[in-house]
Amino acid sequence: MSEQQAYEPKVVAFLCKWCSSAGSDLAGVSRIQYPANATPITIPCTGAMSPMYILSAFNKGADGVLVSGCHIGDCHYIEGNYLARRKMHLTMELLKFIGVEPDRFRMSWVSAAEGAKFAQVVTDFINDLEPLGPQDKLKKVVSS
Amino acid sequence: MINIQDIRDTARDMLAKGEVRAVIGYRRGTRGMLAEPAFITSPEQADDLVWDPTCFHNLSLYLVEDRKFLAHLNKSSDAPIAVIAKGCDARSIVVLLQEHYFKREDVYIIGVSCEGTGVVDERKLASHLNGFQASNAVFDGDDFVFTTAQGEKRLPAREVMADRCLECRNPFPKENNVVFGEDKTGRELEAPFAALARFEAQGTGERWDFWSHHFDRCIRCFACRSVCPMCYCDECVVDSITFPVTPATTAEEKANRIRWIDRSATRSENITYLMTRAMHLAGRCTDCGECERACPVNVPIRLLNNKMEREAREKFGFEPGASIGGPSLVASFLDSDPGDFIR
Amino acid sequence: MTKKRTGVFVCHCGTNIAATVDVAKVAREMADENTVAFTQEYVYMCSEPGQESVVQAIKDNKLDSVVVTCCSPNLHEKTFRDNAQRAGINNFTCEIANIREQCSWVHNDKAKGTEKAIKISRSVVRRVNRNKPLEAIAVNVTRKAMVIGGGIAGIQAALDIANAGVEVVLVEKQATIGGRMLQLSETFPTLDCSQCVLSPKMVEVKRHPKVKLMTYSEVQELSGSVGNFQVKVLKKPTFVDPDKCKICDHCTEVCPVVVPNEYELNLTARRAIYIPYAQAIPASFTLDESACLGLNPVVCGKCKDVCEAGAINYDMRPETVIEDVGAVVVATGFDLYDQENMPELGGGKLEDVLDGLQFERLCSASGATKGHILRPSDHREPKDVVFIQCVGSRDPAKHCAYCSKICCMYTAKHARLYKKHVPDGRAYVFYIDIRSGGKGYEEFVQRTMEDDDTLYLRGRVSKLYRHNGKVRVLGTDTLTGQNVEIDADMVVLAQAMVPSKGTTEIAKVLKIGRDKDGFLAEAHPKLRPVESVTAGIYLAGAAQAPKDIPETVAQAGAAASKVIALLSQATLSRSPLIAKVRPSHCTGCGMCVDACPFIAIRLENGKAVVNEALCEGCGSCSATCLRAAIDVKNVTQLQIHEMIEACLA
Repeated sequence: MSEQQAYEPKVVAFLCKWCSSAGSDLAGVSRIQYPANATPITIPCTGAMSPMYILSAFNKGADGVLVSGCHIGDCHYIEGNYLARRKMHLTMELLKFIGVEPDRFRMSWVSAAEGAKFAQVVTDFINDLEPLGPQDKLKKVVSS
Repeated sequence: MINIQDIRDTARDMLAKGEVRAVIGYRRGTRGMLAEPAFITSPEQADDLVWDPTCFHNLSLYLVEDRKFLAHLNKSSDAPIAVIAKGCDARSIVVLLQEHYFKREDVYIIGVSCEGTGVVDERKLASHLNGFQASNAVFDGDDFVFTTAQGEKRLPAREVMADRCLECRNPFPKENNVVFGEDKTGRELEAPFAALARFEAQGTGERWDFWSHHFDRCIRCFACRSVCPMCYCDECVVDSITFPVTPATTAEEKANRIRWIDRSATRSENITYLMTRAMHLAGRCTDCGECERACPVNVPIRLLNNKMEREAREKFGFEPGASIGGPSLVASFLDSDPGDFIR
Repeated sequence: MTKKRTGVFVCHCGTNIAATVDVAKVAREMADENTVAFTQEYVYMCSEPGQESVVQAIKDNKLDSVVVTCCSPNLHEKTFRDNAQRAGINNFTCEIANIREQCSWVHNDKAKGTEKAIKISRSVVRRVNRNKPLEAIAVNVTRKAMVIGGGIAGIQAALDIANAGVEVVLVEKQATIGGRMLQLSETFPTLDCSQCVLSPKMVEVKRHPKVKLMTYSEVQELSGSVGNFQVKVLKKPTFVDPDKCKICDHCTEVCPVVVPNEYELNLTARRAIYIPYAQAIPASFTLDESACLGLNPVVCGKCKDVCEAGAINYDMRPETVIEDVGAVVVATGFDLYDQENMPELGGGKLEDVLDGLQFERLCSASGATKGHILRPSDHREPKDVVFIQCVGSRDPAKHCAYCSKICCMYTAKHARLYKKHVPDGRAYVFYIDIRSGGKGYEEFVQRTMEDDDTLYLRGRVSKLYRHNGKVRVLGTDTLTGQNVEIDADMVVLAQAMVPSKGTTEIAKVLKIGRDKDGFLAEAHPKLRPVESVTAGIYLAGAAQAPKDIPETVAQAGAAASKVIALLSQATLSRSPLIAKVRPSHCTGCGMCVDACPFIAIRLENGKAVVNEALCEGCGSCSATCLRAAIDVKNVTQLQIHEMIEACLA
């Protein structure tokens, strides 16, 4: 078995409580299967996504970072996802600018009714991450 | 054309009448012809003030220092402080005012337009002078003329002008209490963000090669942070050792500092530091260029900030340092903000 | 700081979790965490014995915090938190780790599922480690409400709230309540008389012991927050004492000033002293200061001279009143899209081209023509009337993108009323679609269409212009594919419904949001249709979106029920997971103030201060702050940082 086949990307997924986390719950209720590589962290709103979380996740060795929230216009807190859209755009552009593969950061709008979409987003993300191999550009090297 | 005597007279006058408690300006330094920041507190000292293409410092930094000093002494300012501000520097002051760092009436802005002359880049100049010192620098409309012991040296503006000035379109300090010089850019040398465009023509691999090389060389001296007027935070979030400890600080607060990164100057930690700083300056950096000038190992920091600035302008219609009222870039949004990258 | 003693309770959930996650391994891994003092597995943690075992474990092991790794917090977070409280620890030190919906149910590979469950559990354990015990926030409540807008929405809301025993202040800008419904002739689909239906409600509002009616008044300022608003209201002087006025009408007979009558949609005129309608409530005349010659007996003074009741008083002054209320309902209604926006249809300048409300006034027995449908230009009865639907609506390119909902119905009503008043007349209706979704609506439209002299033409009208004393209508009939030209005696345009000017103004005063079309924004389009974004401020009627009278009445009742629920508590209880400022790090830059969707942060003495009554805990402030000077309690940046670490270990 080649090293490439054994590689499992590690993803941290930031999900907003009211839409995407609920959508993820719906995927569970519907028993839709998807890869187990993405560990969810539920936050109140994508508006609460500090760019530091993304940089920190990569710094700690994440191969990919997913941020998912309510569709534009549907934010439970009205404007949080509009603020997130801007900050995440800047973060994504900066990552691309320094030469991080664009596919490593992903953002999606998944509503509480979109269980299937959530599963698809994660599946697509893991599939896109596999050929890129482990992320070692921003990862902190820890002496053993 | 700017007559330095007008600036000196203004400073002298204001100090004599007690209208300001100090004037932050430029004076001849002790290292050849380069100007250095000056803090004038008495009318007689006004004659020390100079204005020439070596006045590259962003004096708004000292407004920040002044406020911190007053806060440390628990004093409030009894009179405004005057500061000489180029176009770029005045925009820094606008951002500081936008963020309520001080009140508008606390600062008296003596605007000076470089009229498109720009300022010299020390390193470019040094490479041309080959070790010889210049005692004077003058701009004659096309070239910089340097007086050295070996005679006059004439260099085209493009060769010695600071990179940021090559692309600048706004030499005029719009926010001011009084202004010298005209609102003209002179001839255009480079398109705005030209250097950025050249960089972005490269692919992911080449970009990483470029940046990893520089990230490795960064020594985390934090000179870029020290010299930036926008980095006025008491605690730098990416450098938890800067946590301000007072008698009131509890043990729990000290224990609960977030250590986002290690202090070691290793590549991954340097990247997080530099990227965080770029993110925090998005919409706030007005490209005074001091960070890159101060960097002892020549990391092209301005490229990161320019990238954020161009995103702000082109994608969000946001101009840093344009107006004192109005929200900052990341505290606001438009319905038209791009969202195609979101699945 | 004493060492944390967290208990981790791993639920099997029968085989729902245990089949694809090695729950024993999860428990073992959690036991290795140095803040975990106790771990336990159980088949169904939410069951009675399961919960009891948690209570017992807390007491026996002196636990100070709990993590239950089980199903989604949506299901049992409250259950387990209440349980923890029963056991003597603060409920906010109990957190749920979702290893079912987000793990065991979606991953078949047991090894991978277990690894993920361990990461999820560990991240929640790390979070709980930093959780502070919190108490729900108590906010005092003023048991009084204000309704802004005295149309049918405001009237209904005021009555429903007052009937629950809660005092209501009803503020109306005009000299009478009644709004648009009072301007209508008959209402669809029953064709009952609008004033007959509305008047009893107007009288009830006037007489209700719990309702304080403030007409000819405007809200100027609102401060405070849910449960405790202070509203500044300007009472404009009417110069007529409503208690003395006998409505004898002698004053209008002598008043020399004639101005257009806005209540009759400018179809006729009124005097400077006037009563809007015969059925006005309050039943009193009003003197329009802007039209009057000078409120000065030297200049005029005729009305005062003839008033036998002595009701006229030129010395009345504007009065500012501050009302303390716990909740506000905004019911400020709609206007019609201005005809001047449709130059191809006359731009409002063609004679005999009316809008729907003007046509209502013609039909109304109390209107300018005493219920006779007459052409404004020559007062002759129109024999050919063209009705045009969708004027300004459904046009994203030039006008309003949305559908105004009621026009199909009232146009059918107008065609019917016209045929009733002018039996030998011919009605033409230009439509794109027919939207008749309410009870009895479709039947009503079909009956209208069945009339022999009412012709429904599916097509648009491109131009109107005057020709030989008539209005020439150039339209099209897409079902026959022919162009249609009609020389009409009168044209009635179904203009789009737009938020009223008062709605736009009140939104700024109250700082409540408006949507992309200017209507008042509801908190959630589906699940919270009568709440504004600001807690304690509710919406009712056409100010929120185009709607008909049954929907308006229903929405008004809904808003009233929200108000009653809110005010039925002595104190309000709010979640304590809200933002908190670290003043030592705050530089007063104000970015959080701008970012906050709820305007819950302000700057005071150079530092940010959070209004605990308004903060919803979204965290937008925290992500915007460059200095981490503001954080949401129990969801702090430090906690997220440690959760990230746990997910990547």
